[in-house]
Amino acid sequence: MKKFSFSRSKVLAVFLSLFALVICYQMIRIQNSSEAEYLDKWAKNYGYEVRTIQSERGYIYDRWGNLLAGNKEVYEVGIELQFVRNPAAIASTMSNLLELDYGFVFKAANTPYVPGETVYMTLVDFVSYEKIKELSALKTRYENQNPYGDDPNKPSLRGLVWSPHLQRAYPEHDLASNVLGFYTFYNREGGTGSYGVEQYYDSLLAGIKQNVVISLDPYELQEIPTAPAGASLILTIDREIQRSVEKILDQAVTGSKSVSGTIIIMNPENGEILALANSPRLDPNAYWEIADLFPDVTAINKSVTQVYEPGSVFKVLTMAAALDAGVVTPETTYTDYGVYEVGPWEIFNWDRGAWGEQTMVGCMQHSLNVCLATVAEWLNQDRFYSYMERFGIGHRTNIDMAGEVVFPLIVPGDQNWNIVNLATNSFGQGLAVTPMQMVMAVSSIANDGKMMAPHILKAYIQDGQQYDTVPQVMGQPISAETAHTLTEMLATSLEEEASDALVEGYRVAGKTGTGEIAVNGMYTSYLTNASFVGWGPIEDPKFVVYIWLEKPRTSIWGSVVAAPVFSDVVEELVVLMDIPPDDVRVGMTKE
Amino acid sequence: MAESQDNKSDKHPKSGMKNQLALAFKQAPWRNRVQLAGGFLVALVIVILVASIYLSISGQAAAAGLEAYQLDLERLDLEREIANTNSRIADLTSAANMEARALEMGFKRIDPADALYITIPGYPGKQTMVVTSPPGTVNDDRLLVKSVYRESLWDWLFSGINSLNTTIIGSGE
Repeated sequence: MKKFSFSRSKVLAVFLSLFALVICYQMIRIQNSSEAEYLDKWAKNYGYEVRTIQSERGYIYDRWGNLLAGNKEVYEVGIELQFVRNPAAIASTMSNLLELDYGFVFKAANTPYVPGETVYMTLVDFVSYEKIKELSALKTRYENQNPYGDDPNKPSLRGLVWSPHLQRAYPEHDLASNVLGFYTFYNREGGTGSYGVEQYYDSLLAGIKQNVVISLDPYELQEIPTAPAGASLILTIDREIQRSVEKILDQAVTGSKSVSGTIIIMNPENGEILALANSPRLDPNAYWEIADLFPDVTAINKSVTQVYEPGSVFKVLTMAAALDAGVVTPETTYTDYGVYEVGPWEIFNWDRGAWGEQTMVGCMQHSLNVCLATVAEWLNQDRFYSYMERFGIGHRTNIDMAGEVVFPLIVPGDQNWNIVNLATNSFGQGLAVTPMQMVMAVSSIANDGKMMAPHILKAYIQDGQQYDTVPQVMGQPISAETAHTLTEMLATSLEEEASDALVEGYRVAGKTGTGEIAVNGMYTSYLTNASFVGWGPIEDPKFVVYIWLEKPRTSIWGSVVAAPVFSDVVEELVVLMDIPPDDVRVGMTKE
Repeated sequence: MAESQDNKSDKHPKSGMKNQLALAFKQAPWRNRVQLAGGFLVALVIVILVASIYLSISGQAAAAGLEAYQLDLERLDLEREIANTNSRIADLTSAANMEARALEMGFKRIDPADALYITIPGYPGKQTMVVTSPPGTVNDDRLLVKSVYRESLWDWLFSGINSLNTTIIGSGE
């Protein structure tokens, strides 16, 4: 018995040893098999995920916190070929729900699955959340009816997948689109900001983008890097003012049959742009329509991207220079004979008439070219151009929007300068400015002689901190006294002229402008740029308004087409900016 | 034999004890097997203990890793959801929508002449936007996962040995 027991244990030990050896052999064999090599390779390919960590693009708000540009969730829909069970059902669903071509989807869904090569096909991108909800419900219903898609006679959406991502969204559509520009979101890898603040502050809004390798091995606990959102911008724009001004501008452009229009509203005290309207406008949610809407690429934001001959609104600067230099006073008289001769050239008034004896107020009120040419002569060319330099003419305003252009001011000594330039420049011909340059220059007259840098960014938010921009003084081209004198002159001239620009209850100052447009080097009297620049209330100006209507056809005159627009704009502004009428404001001050 | 052993033990007490033990093992050979089995069991228990701890910690680390991965995906989902919600709110409260709703509710645009202005002492007027936090994640440079949670038992053991080695070599120098 004992002997038998011993033998049995020996046999058992041998058997177990052999079994252990077999296990060891099998382990070594598996480790070194070709399958193991494949698995190892597979693990190297799929054990790590290369993820693009990209910051969410920063938001853009108006001054009150209304969102002008944000991001919304959209989906990419594709097919994981390995799991497709019923290509016809997928093609039919995508055709009905997302209006995709049946043949295209069917072909894609029938693409053979090749591991490591063809595993996924993109069908469509930028699908809305609502559509995906419908798609998801349908997929679930089919799955319940046909689990795992095993029954080929029943529909199954197995293999159809979708993944979310963000898309730039502009909830106000075309409102302030010329200011915002747009982000080319259809280019998911290389989208960039174009035009406006989207381009100017692109790097700030974009944040960071980096590729990181993330291990999918749960044992390798690692910190997954995150990218902080791009900086958000708070603009100086007031949404309500912008909307009102855009409406008025659209009506004005349509009513005057102009090619385009621009209105800028600026706070002269700090250079903040409260509204900047252009017509026509682009909806940045459909930015690819830009080529159809604007054949000329500079047209999206003409207030800074296009120069033009401003015409008589420029007389404001000439008169400011003459007053400041002490060459004239409001009471200085001048006899207008209707023509100003300079070398072989003759300068006429807008009506080719002679207006007799005029004060400087009369010169501005009747917008006499001959008078201003004479004043410029009295001022002399050196002082005239020195003042224009101080007003920033010929220089960029450096406003924080993309694409600002400048036309150099041709001054004595330049090859193209001629003595007639002094005369024509005095009333805004023979030189070119952007509307923004004019607003900046005129803001000095509305702000005690101090010229503020126009800007569109009020603050930006980065890493949880809000950084406010500081208003910048660009200089003081004229004294405060000159500014007050000229403001009073222009207010009086509007009142005496019974201008359409007047606003009941408020004293405003302003000047019309009608700039002739040169065609093939010759000025035409039927193509003009109609403008108006004004500010108010004159005791303490809170706004400067600049209006430009390009090539109006119902009337060529700024006094007819642009001046009433100023009145309409100011009527809205005083309500939206809570500016009481002059008599009420004086009463409140006394209280 | 016993006498001679006693004599030897008298001369060398320690070697006598050894002899006694050897004799005892010789008389009862199962003692050897028990000793071997005991030793084996102790070693086995230690190995099982270490393996259990290792498996437990590895399991927890794996679960934490998966959870971290899931949480990261959830964070991305939430960020998208927040962005989407902000966008939808902006859509619903856009200037055009608000104006249409106001008109529906019977509001009319004010005539400037009808406006009544009153002075409210101390009221600074409508204030521009002040935001305290950005729309996305606040950037924090601190590492969230401490290195101790990222190293294996072997890493820990070898790093300990290395540091000990460095200390010894360092002190020798």
